[in-house]
Amino acid sequence: MIYRALALVLALVFAASFDPAPAAAQSSTLTVQASTEPPGLDMTATPASATAGVVFYNVQEALVKVDKHGKLVPWLAERWHTSDNKNYTFFLKKGVRFHNGRELKAADVKFVIERAMNPETKHPNPNQYRSITDIIVKDDYTVTIALKETNANFLLYMARAGSVIYPREAVDTLKSAPIGTGPFTLQEWVRGDKIILKKNPEYHVKGLPKLDRVTYRFIADPNAVQAALKAGDVDVSFFGLGPEHVVDLKKDARFQVIVGDTTNDVILAMNNSKKPYSDVKVRRAMTHAINKPDVLKGAMFGMGKILGTNVDPLNPYYVDMSSAVPYDPAKAKKLLAEAGYPNGFDTVLKVSPTYYYTVRTGEILADQLKKVGVNVKIEQIEWNQWLDRVFCRPASGCKEPEYDLTIIGHAESWDIANYANPKYYYRYDSKKFQDLFQKSEVTLEDKARREQYVSLQRMLVEDAPAVWLYMHPRLVVAKKNLTGIWKDLPVPSADLSEVGWTK
Amino acid sequence: MRRYVLRRVAAFVATLFFVSALVFIVIRILPGDPAAVIMGTEGSPEAAARLREAMGLNRPLLVQYADWLTRALRGDLGTSIQYDVPVGRLIVTRLPVTLPLMLLAAFFMVFVALPLGIFAATRHRRLGDYVTMVISQLGIAVPSFWAGLLLILLFSVRLGWVQSGGFAGWDEGFWPALRSLLLPAIALGFFQAAVLIRATRSAVLDVLREDYVRTARAKGVREALVVVKHTFRNAMIPVVTVAGLQLGQLIAGSIILESVFALPGLGRLALNAITARDLPVVQGVTLFVASSIVAINFAVDLAYAMLDPRIRYD
Repeated sequence: MIYRALALVLALVFAASFDPAPAAAQSSTLTVQASTEPPGLDMTATPASATAGVVFYNVQEALVKVDKHGKLVPWLAERWHTSDNKNYTFFLKKGVRFHNGRELKAADVKFVIERAMNPETKHPNPNQYRSITDIIVKDDYTVTIALKETNANFLLYMARAGSVIYPREAVDTLKSAPIGTGPFTLQEWVRGDKIILKKNPEYHVKGLPKLDRVTYRFIADPNAVQAALKAGDVDVSFFGLGPEHVVDLKKDARFQVIVGDTTNDVILAMNNSKKPYSDVKVRRAMTHAINKPDVLKGAMFGMGKILGTNVDPLNPYYVDMSSAVPYDPAKAKKLLAEAGYPNGFDTVLKVSPTYYYTVRTGEILADQLKKVGVNVKIEQIEWNQWLDRVFCRPASGCKEPEYDLTIIGHAESWDIANYANPKYYYRYDSKKFQDLFQKSEVTLEDKARREQYVSLQRMLVEDAPAVWLYMHPRLVVAKKNLTGIWKDLPVPSADLSEVGWTK
Repeated sequence: MRRYVLRRVAAFVATLFFVSALVFIVIRILPGDPAAVIMGTEGSPEAAARLREAMGLNRPLLVQYADWLTRALRGDLGTSIQYDVPVGRLIVTRLPVTLPLMLLAAFFMVFVALPLGIFAATRHRRLGDYVTMVISQLGIAVPSFWAGLLLILLFSVRLGWVQSGGFAGWDEGFWPALRSLLLPAIALGFFQAAVLIRATRSAVLDVLREDYVRTARAKGVREALVVVKHTFRNAMIPVVTVAGLQLGQLIAGSIILESVFALPGLGRLALNAITARDLPVVQGVTLFVASSIVAINFAVDLAYAMLDPRIRYD
């Protein structure tokens, strides 16, 4: 009897499942897959790319914008002016309104930047504002920021996620209900499930955004993401898929696949302060021993670009140095012998499976390095452990990084700066490099700065503080008739302002 | 009976105390303390130290634990570091997903395992038995997250009957909400049933060898009646024990399945909280789950007396 009842219940449930699906979603809504839920929506408190992926350019914007080509363009400031490269005057666009209806004024800029400079507010990138000495509000639409010294990256810093402009009165709710000037307003955040954005009808760029509603759904497992795309439950995945899924979805006519450039450089970092990697011969031998095209083929199915230094292809000063130190195992062996390791050595590679590519790249590298006598033992560690022990994040009180080798993608643009910091976990300490880098930081003339950057890249190739493997590609899969998606990703964001459906 | 209940309550409190202390210590020993996680990669040691001070992380572990415990006893589980929301409220908002998922999965588990187990026992060493055992072996071998993916591929990608993941929410109506829990409940329940099938089979086999079963058969009682009335009820004690343990397994399995099916349940809350070192949330969820498991075990113990009147609690 009970089983008959059970059969009935099951039949009912499945019958309910057969109900015709609710009318197809309106064409002006979009469902976006996100792999991780943001740890909070305050970009002035967290550097998490999951936060920027939702908020940056969609809910909040900055004075300057990094556009889809990686160029700095005027945004909330319609123009700026400097005569001495130390005092920057920004002229704000008039009639820009925050989501609470109030107009954006120069006093907001002053408040926001001063708050970022205050160490008590736990801004994730305090160093970006270190050179600022004063912020002067001239009138409601004019503000001057004074610097201690010339800073070639100042405008870039003003364009980054941590420099978004929000209204002073909304500072306490940035974490859960951020307000800004962006094309969308935050409608709802259902913790653990989804974030819904709604069109901002008052947006200061006429005709935008094209979508009425955007839903971010959190799906972590890449296989589940693939299934959700195929089942039509999500329309686009910006960051959630690996190359193997992209290869499969490429065959499906319902989807478009975008493989673009990013600023994410995947590197094999070596602890330069620790034997045997304190010897430049060993570091160069490591570079010669690695067959980068094979690594790219094996780990990324050939998608992405091979790197020669730590400057990514989206950087204006990028020089292709991918073949400067060619694959040459015989030379690697010779260099190792010269360094006193004729039979190679044993070493440990620490990777965190939080980033899928680190483990598989490590396995290929271990195999290649074995051929020159370097025996790599792969150790997988949890991400926070990686940050504390390997990356040696200062906030944890770490003094010396504990690692031989590690693999990680460095996603920040212009992160060649890290090689000028001898305290960075590479522990690369070259006075020559540091001096030239400091010079480049205050050089504003483009041609001179380009030359300096070329020299910096050459220096890196010579000293081989790390092995630069490949640029992690941007892998986007979207429904065929979705337009306006950025091809490349010069900045960590998923700008949806121009995204829309064609008929 | 009263002494028994008192003893159980004391054990219950002791278990919760032990579990909460263990979690508290373990999560503190892990590298990456909450202050360092909040400060990110560029924060200075000085700023992190100030934050640690403000969050009270500088005090001795014992003091911190005592502080947490006194608050928890008053019903205050603290505030989530990452969401800025009271932990109690977070747990309550996740329950409408996890609880029905558990119940549905348990329902599938029991209603698959019991009949199949009995069926296998009555066909002992015959084809039906072997087939059932092979099915059960498969169920034990197949990890539930993989089974979940296969179910998604079949029912939502191929057939398009249900959503591939996510939770519709109960305010969307009963059926849409239930439908989004169907596949994960099947993945959890059917595959947890595998162990229960074996337990049921061997328990029933044992009882089938009893004298009174032979007597019943000799009297000419119908075989169906012999199995259901004389055998099954007497075989229930080991079955209920295993089922109770399996319920605990269901809770553990839900952590993975909630990720595969993108369900906003307790398991995912706990997983994210561990990654973000959101201590109050980890503590709160662990305490809640531990209480539930202890409560289930208690219920199982009480069920023994109902099944076998000879069992007395004193």
